[in-house]
Order: sequence, then structure tokens, then C-alpha cells
Amino acid sequence: MRKSKCLFSACLAGLIGLGSLAFSLSSQADDFTEGDLKRWNQEFMSVVMKGEKLFHSGDLGTNKVSCDQCHPNAANTHPETYPKFQQQIGRVITLSEMVNWCIQQPLEGQPLALDDPKMMALLSYITYERRGVPLSPGKH
Amino acid sequence: MKTSSSGLKGMICTSAITVLFAACVAFAAPVGLPPVPVPADNPITPEKVKLGDKLFHDTRFSTTGEVSCATCHDKAKGFADGLPVSEGINKLKGTRNAPTIINAAYLHTQFWDGREPSLESQSAQPFLNPVEMGLKDHEPILKIVRSDPEYSNLFDNAFGKTGNQITMTEVKQALGTFERTLISGNSPFDQYYFKGDKTAMSPAAVRGLEVYVGQGRCVSCHRIEQTQALFTDNRFHMIGVSANQMPKDLDELSAAVQNVKEKGTDIAVLSNPQTSSLGRFAVTEDLTDIGAFKTPTLRNIELTAPYMHDGSHKTLEEVVTFYNNGGRLDEADPVPELLSGGIRPLNLTEAQQADLVAFLKALTSPEFAQK
Amino acid sequence: MSMNRRAFLKTTGAGLMASAFPISLVKLAFGGQDPSRDFTFGYISDAHIQQVKGTQFVRNWDMGLIRAVREANLLTPRPDFFMFGGDLAQLGKKEELDHGLEIMSSLRGKVRYVIGEHDYYLDLGKYWQEKISPLYYSFDHKGVHFVVLNSILTYHKWTYETWSSPMDRMLAMARLDNPQGSPFMVGDQQIAWLKKDLAKINQDTPVVVFSHSPIQKIFKPWNFWTQDAEKVQALLKPFEKATVIYGHVHQIQYNQIGNITFHAVMATAWPWPYPETYSQSASCLPKITVPMNRADPFFERDATGWQFVDMQSGKTAMHYQLPDNRNRTIAFDAATGKPQDVTYQDYSRRIPPQTHY
Repeated sequence: MRKSKCLFSACLAGLIGLGSLAFSLSSQADDFTEGDLKRWNQEFMSVVMKGEKLFHSGDLGTNKVSCDQCHPNAANTHPETYPKFQQQIGRVITLSEMVNWCIQQPLEGQPLALDDPKMMALLSYITYERRGVPLSPGKH
Repeated sequence: MKTSSSGLKGMICTSAITVLFAACVAFAAPVGLPPVPVPADNPITPEKVKLGDKLFHDTRFSTTGEVSCATCHDKAKGFADGLPVSEGINKLKGTRNAPTIINAAYLHTQFWDGREPSLESQSAQPFLNPVEMGLKDHEPILKIVRSDPEYSNLFDNAFGKTGNQITMTEVKQALGTFERTLISGNSPFDQYYFKGDKTAMSPAAVRGLEVYVGQGRCVSCHRIEQTQALFTDNRFHMIGVSANQMPKDLDELSAAVQNVKEKGTDIAVLSNPQTSSLGRFAVTEDLTDIGAFKTPTLRNIELTAPYMHDGSHKTLEEVVTFYNNGGRLDEADPVPELLSGGIRPLNLTEAQQADLVAFLKALTSPEFAQK
Repeated sequence: MSMNRRAFLKTTGAGLMASAFPISLVKLAFGGQDPSRDFTFGYISDAHIQQVKGTQFVRNWDMGLIRAVREANLLTPRPDFFMFGGDLAQLGKKEELDHGLEIMSSLRGKVRYVIGEHDYYLDLGKYWQEKISPLYYSFDHKGVHFVVLNSILTYHKWTYETWSSPMDRMLAMARLDNPQGSPFMVGDQQIAWLKKDLAKINQDTPVVVFSHSPIQKIFKPWNFWTQDAEKVQALLKPFEKATVIYGHVHQIQYNQIGNITFHAVMATAWPWPYPETYSQSASCLPKITVPMNRADPFFERDATGWQFVDMQSGKTAMHYQLPDNRNRTIAFDAATGKPQDVTYQDYSRRIPPQTHY
């Protein structure tokens, strides 16, 4: 009985030891938990919500017109089709360039820098409203 | 939702048609241009080109014996005539500015209002216009081409036809073929944009290109694409030129329409500025086409002043000012009410406008460049 | 040959005056049997005049309304009257309504107005009733009974007890994709009035109802919706020839429910996407609708326009006047008992711009 108890304790100690080793290994590897996924998604959604606000604000241009006046729920923006040849611009462009075209033309405003947080927010919202639609780059 | 494969099929179909046409072309397309479309029933041959050239320059096909196609479409003047509106027999004035024939082969319709669908069908019209060649019908032309020994040879070589076998169809096909060879690309812009030669355009022209595809919005109608640039969308737009000559009310409009019905479009629009201002409407009778004119190509635009369908803009600077003001030469002029949806004030700076003009001057092909 | 050219040749052949301007009454092959009852009226809608600041208004929407009025003034023979289909203003402001009415004042002909939600929710129609007309009424013209409804009302609580300011309420209703929205309805008061109004006329009298919302249930997220649509439809059921013409949707739609023909009108301001283009929600666009061509955003007037309506023996034909685009005609086809696009109804005749996704 004593022998098995010892064995058991030894195994337990070994397991705990291994467990600590494993724990220290996972904090170095690119391992993530459900909790991490949830949190990162919240980070993303916070930017989507900022984009939703901007999209509906009427503040991106100089004439109070907001994107949602022509694109309710960002419909008809077709983010899944970019990059594509855009005939109004004469070449293949990305979604962010099309966003800037809209800000400059119907909204009569100044284009955003491509790394502007506002642009990131808009792109996040526009693509989020189109989630689940397969990619179709180049589609007119 | 359409899948991308059906889009690909569509793409292949269009490419196949282009290849079919291109197969008939004896020469390669210049830099910046696609292969020139050739109608299946009128392939290009050197004999037709030679015949068409002679017909094009023959002044006998007018009542005074002084006017030929080349009178208003003069090679030395960019195949235009440098006048606000063209002058035919006895210096009779029409209402419209002579468009260049260079690259007209790429247009889907001919004339400012697109009333003729092809180079061939267009070529027969000016002969019968009272302010152009003034003939009552084509008989005097046929008489000459059937009896003149030089023409006999040329028609025989080109079409295998002699004497009374020669009809206006052959005349039109020869003229059309000659005009179809008047294509040119390879401008400094083409070298810069399609060949990647960054030194081909001046810094001002490079900045002007930025304006052209950006704030200036020119590219949306005067098309530049990824692999070619026709500088036209082949559509009709009311941009505000001669807005003050357009019918002001129903009575004036009815009179203008009546004019077209009685005289036929070709004669009516060249006889009366108000009728001329109807533009595409005189052809389609569609309210959305009122005052709309075809987007011309901008290639070689430096050579073909004055500008617009009525030659009312003397310089490229004036043209740029007109667009910058959203369809008016003077900011104080009223905004035309029936403007095409693409025209609005651009808010370009003086520098941007000057750069834009510099860019437009970079569209001249080397063979036409003025020294 | 364009539709209008063909139509013109038909009408001159029918002996109309030689100087008739081409855009004229189109006698359709499957049109009315009794030409003496035929007439036309024009319809301009959804101008959304929007104030930027002071006397500056959004140029784009101004140009849309100006163009529609200018073209409508060139229509000949003259239509008997004009309707304005609602949403004259964007936020219901006095300045916007005044600016819109100023542009409309150049229109030659009698104009009657239908109110839209963008006109109503700032002051609940107070200025509209002072300056323009009652919010619902009826009138008769050449044997046809016309009814104008205020179909953009909503629940009492949402209207009166939810918002801290009239502008907050207006902004909430102005936003099409509003999660805090509330469905449109005609309401019991008007339904009762309508019942009495329709009791006065024979069942073979053609009835045309003008409203802003569709009097159908098409797409709730964007209020392409009338909550009590069935109640109104039930009142129209006894009538042999009933038509509903509505605005609000900024796109071509048409439908047939039983005996009632439905036609949407275009906006002069801007187009709206078809509900099917919002991938996160199911839509119910009337199956027979052949969509309008997709809008090219470069051309501000693309997928906008105005329309004129032919009454032919009590049935309607809708002629859409679409700048920068092919015009469309939707006419009632007696053979199928439904409105049909005279050019594109057959699937084999559809063109790529009519694909929306």
C-alpha cells in the first residue's frame, strides 16, 4: 500500500511537473483560447461600430450627405468584388480607392489617407455588412 | 447571384468577336489603341485605300467643283479645318465643327449626334447637304466615277467592278476603308502610360494626368483603360455647350422638331443653330438626349481647335475653364438645367488647370506633331 | 429603333397632329378599349431637397428636381395634372420645403401633393398642411376616382413618446436602415375615412390610390412596408380597376395582387439598391418586377427620373423617364392580367445591367 501511495505521489508530482513545463511551453507558442477569440472579435467589432457611425454620419464630405443615403446597410457596395477594373477611374482599384472616390464626388469631400483610422473603420463596417458572400474579384 | 464563370464566358465571347475583326486587319494597332474594328463586308485592301484616298480629295463631287471631303478634313490641320463651323460650297456656313477623322474608325457612331452608324454610311451624307457639297443626289458622283478612266482602273482593282456596276456602295466602302487607315496612337502619353517610359511626358503633363483621372473626372467619359485608351466612351452627354441656343419652351422645341421632320436630320441640323443644339435628341427623339453630343476622342486634340460641336471654345484653356465651372464658360452664367449627371463644378486650382492642358497636349501622335 | 421613335410613328399614323412632339400618348397594342376615357398625368417624387447650410442645398438633389420639372414642361400633349409623390424635403425643414416648392413652381400644370416621411416627422405635417394641402383627400377626374393617403404614419408611442426632440425623431425616421425604426401604416382613422369615401362610388369606377409607402409588405428593414396593407387592399378589392402608385423605394417596382395593380415611381434625387443586395436579410421584391438598370455613380442622374402615367380605360401604363438611361414602360396587359414591361418582361430579353446582386 505504501509503495503504491509513493508511486502515486511520484506520478502526481511528475504530472504536476510536466504540467508546469507544458504551461510554460504554451505561453510561448501561438496558442489561443476561446476567450482570446472573443476578445479579438470585440476589438474588431469596436472598429466596425465606429465605421457604422461614420457611414451614417454625413461628416465625411462637405455637403452633409451620408453614405447610407444611397447605401442602406452598405448595400450595393460589393466589397467582395474588389480589386476590380472600375470604369469611372479607368483602372483596377481596391475598395478603399472606391470609398475615396465616393467621398470626393457625391459627398464633395477630401479623400482619406489609406491608413487613416476612419478608412479602416469604414472598410470594416462595409465588409462586415457583406459577411458570408463569396469573393468575386473583378466582377462588375 | 451570377457566378464568376458566366462572367468569364462573357469576357471570352467579347474577346472572340474582337479577334474576328482584328483578323481582318493588315497592320498592327499603334501603342495605346486596340486593333481597329473592320466590318466583315468591307475588309481593308491597299487598292481600296488608294481609291478611297482619291475620292476623298476629289472636288468634282460638289456643285461648284471646289469642295471635297478634304476641304473640311485637311491632313495639315489634323484632318479637321481649324474653323469654328465648317464652310462648304460658296463658303456657306453650317452649324457644326468638323470632327477629326483620325481614329474615327474606333467610334460606334459617326457625326456629333451619331446619326450614322459607320464610316461608310457617313461618307455619303455631306455630298447631299446644301451647305457642304450641295448635290441634289449622288448621280453626278456616279457619272464621274463610271466614266473617268483613272477611276475605272481603281474601281476595277478594288472591287472588280466597271461601268454601271459601280454604285454608291463601292464609293462608300472605298471612302470608309481609306478613313479606317487614319489611326494613330503612340503619343507621349501612350509611351508613358502603356510603355512605362517615365521620361516621355513633361512633369506638368504627369501632374495633369493625375488631375485627369482624379479631381478632374475626365477619365469617366474620355476613357483611359488598363491596356488601351480610346479617350471616348462612345456615349452622348449634355454638357452645357450652347445651352442658351436650345429651345426655351415647347413652341420652340416643336418648331425645331418640325424642322428635322421636314428636311431630314442631316440637312436640318446643319441649317439652323437651334435645331443643331438639339444634338442626339434629333436622332432618338428621347427627352434624355436633349442637347447631348457624342464624347469625341481627345487624341491629337491639340491640332483640332476650336472645340465643341459648335466650335465655340477657342482654346484648350477655355475648355478646361468650362468644365471647371460645371458646364459654363463664365461662373456667372446660369447652370444649364438639363445637364448630364456627370458635369459639376470641379474646384481645380489655376495650376491644376494648366497641368491638365499640358497633359492634353501630350496626346498628339508623333506623325502629326507640329514642330 | 428606340421605343419612343416607334411610338411616335404609331401616334402620327393614328392621325394626331403632325407637329406633335414625340413623347406623347402611347397607344399600346394591349391598351384601352375606349379612347375617350384616356388621359395622362405626370408624377414627380422623392426630391429630398437637403439643406447644407443657410441658402446652400445639396446641388445633386436640386439638379434632379430641376431636370424633372424642365423635362415635364416639354411634354406634349400636356398631361392633365401632376402629382408629387412625397419626400420633397430631406429633414422636413421649412427651408427645404420652401426651396422644393420654389423649384416645383416652374412646373406648368396643376400639382397635387402626397406627403412622405421625410416631410412629416419634424413637425408632424404642420407646415405641409399650412403651405400645401391636407394630408389625405380624394378627387375625381374624367371618371376616375383618385385617393391620396398619408401612409407613412406609425405607432403613437414611437411618434409622441420616444424622442427628446422633433429633430431626433426626424433623424430616426430619415435613416432608412434604422434599427430603431417603426413600420409605416395608414392607421385606423384613415381606413375608416377611406371606407366611407369609397362607398360613394360605383364598383366599375376606376380607382387610383396615391401613397408614399407601398401599401404592400416588401422589405421591412428599409420600411418598404405598410403594416396595415391588407386592410387597404381589402377596401380596394371590390373595384374592377384598382391601382396603387407609391414612392419611397426610389426604384422600379410593379406588382399585381388580385385586382390591384401596383406601380412604384422613381426618385429625382438618388436611387436605392434592391433589397436582395443586402445579403444579411431576406427580401420579397414582387416577382414580376423587371429591375431598373444598375446605377453608375459617376452619372448623378443615373437610376433617377420622373414618370408620366397613361390612364387607358381605367388601367394604368407607367412611362419612366430615365436620364442617362433607356426609358421604360410598364403597361397593364389584359392577356396576362398583370402589368408588364413592354420591352424586357420576357426573360430572354433581359440585359446585363438588370442583374443586381
